[in-house]
This record gives sequence, C-alpha cells and structure tokens, in this order.
Amino acid sequence: MHEVGIAQSILDIAIDNANKNGAKKINLISVNIGKMSAVDFPALDFAFNALKEGTIASESKLECNEIELKCECFSCGAVSALEGYFSICPKCESREVRIISGDELNIAYIDVE
Amino acid sequence: MATIDINEKVLSKNDLDAKRLRDFFAKEKIYTINVMSSPGSGKTSLLEKVLPIIAKKYNVAVIEGDLETDNDKDRIERAGIKALQIQTGGACHLEALEIEKKFSIFNDSKIDLLIIENVGNLVCPSEYDLGQDENFVLLSTTEGEDKPLKYPTMIYACDTFIVNKVDLLPYLDFDVELLIDNAKKIKNNIRTFKISCKSGEGVENLVDYIISKIEGKKIT
Repeated sequence: MHEVGIAQSILDIAIDNANKNGAKKINLISVNIGKMSAVDFPALDFAFNALKEGTIASESKLECNEIELKCECFSCGAVSALEGYFSICPKCESREVRIISGDELNIAYIDVE
Repeated sequence: MATIDINEKVLSKNDLDAKRLRDFFAKEKIYTINVMSSPGSGKTSLLEKVLPIIAKKYNVAVIEGDLETDNDKDRIERAGIKALQIQTGGACHLEALEIEKKFSIFNDSKIDLLIIENVGNLVCPSEYDLGQDENFVLLSTTEGEDKPLKYPTMIYACDTFIVNKVDLLPYLDFDVELLIDNAKKIKNNIRTFKISCKSGEGVENLVDYIISKIEGKKIT
C-alpha cells in the first residue's frame, strides 16, 4: 500500500550509496522484501520506474527477492518455513513460536558503473 | 561494473517521521494508542465509554481520522475529552507527519494519554507507523469469526485485540472463542478483551489496563 514511499526510499538509499562510492550509473538495485511486509511487488516496480526518471538510476532494474516467513518453535526447537500467515509450528503445531524472518524490508546491494 | 553491498533497512519517509514522534512521546511520557478496525466496529463508541473514566485522573487527548466530517471529533468533545479531527479527503489511513502537525495544536505536553482513532479500514492503517506505543484492533460480534484470517497483516500488527458488542451475543450465531482463536493463530501473544460499549461489560478491565500503561510510561 505504501509502495510509492518505499520506492522513493529505495532510490534515495541507492543513489546516496552510488554517489559515496563515485559511481556514475546504477544498473541494478536488489531488495529483500519479507512476505509479512505486505508490499505489492508490481506496484513497487511501477512506482520505482516512475520515480527513477532523471536520476543516475534511470536505466536501472529493481530486483525484488521475497523472503519467506520462517519461525523458530520454543516447544520443539524446529526452524520452519510457514506456508500461510499462521504462527503455528508445522512440525509440532505449537503456537509458542517466534517469527525469525518474513517482515524485513532491506536494500541488499546495487550494481553500478 | 561493480557491486556495492548496502544491507540497509528501507525506511520510508513515514518511518522517519514516526521515529521523531516516538522519541517525542517518550520524552514527554505520553502513552499513545493507535485504534484500528473496520468502519462500524465501535471505535468511537469505545472511546466515548472508556475515556471519560480515565480523564477523571489523567490528561487525555484524541486525534480523529476520517475521510470527511468532524462527526467523530464532535462526539468525543461531547463526552468531555479534547479532540482534533484530521479529514484525509481520500487517504484511507493516517500518517505520522499529519499526527505530528495536529498534535502541535494541542500545545500541551502535559498530556498523559493520546488516542489516535484511525480511519476505519482493516488493511492500510497497520502499515503506517504513527509513533504509537501500541495498536488496538477492534472487531465486533456482528462481523465474521474468520476476519483475522482474512486480514492477517492487521492482526500481525495488533498488540491488544478487543471484541466489541458482546451484549448482542444472545441474538447472534457468533462464536467469540473461535474469533479469538483465529486471531491467535496469526499472533499468539495478543492481549484480548471482550466488551460492550452499550452495556458497559468489560469496560472496567480495559480502563484498568490503559491506566496501568499510562503509569508504566511515566516510570520509564
């Protein structure tokens, strides 16, 4: 829902890092987006492509990597991927779980020249 | 061609605004609650019922959010609580910057409790940090027990889950325990309350809880 603001922030961070490293052009921006962050990838891509015009990222591609929801179970110790949004251990069905991945929103790296 | 590793959290402008607000609320020891639900679950009624009791001892303020009208702000003021209204026009959620601007109108940093009644919407409001201490999510007995499963991102953001309109249970085929169980499937450690703004059932427990949080913030 807040894809425009996120796209702007991704661009700002990418351009800032490119400038700090003396790069003139950004070719790729790779972001890790957790499933629970509720970011819509097509909307993010659309917003990104609209905002990148006139910047050193104008010809860049946005690579979105969806990070799956994973939990650690306090009952059986298993670390498992979660299919849906249920915070329930797939191994022993305990609800005493801790979500360890799936709500991140990080910019991983950029490819520049 | 070169690769530059960044590994940095993407914070939108709203996140930065919310951080500033959160720091301000912490400094001034203002306990802040973001109240969210579908339209019609009873957010404003909840505030009309609960806040006058709390206001006997504490300085309470409300920021209301709707697309149009001052209706909710007027209701809160008639209940004797100071309130301001944000009319978003078309936006389906509130954002931190507008909260910050509105709060400055109160010009009163002796406020103990700030309630933000968000726009009625079970989707977008959960995605915008407002600098709050906790999120209340309200759901009423005239909605479906499976609503938490249909709107998991709102439940994931929820700290306190309030079931409203329990006075209607004798007239409905509604399973409250199933509703709560569904919410806990998404987030097991949510705090839960069952209330009726009409009959007053459960209101005292909720008031006691909120007061404990106001007091708790004062000693941080």
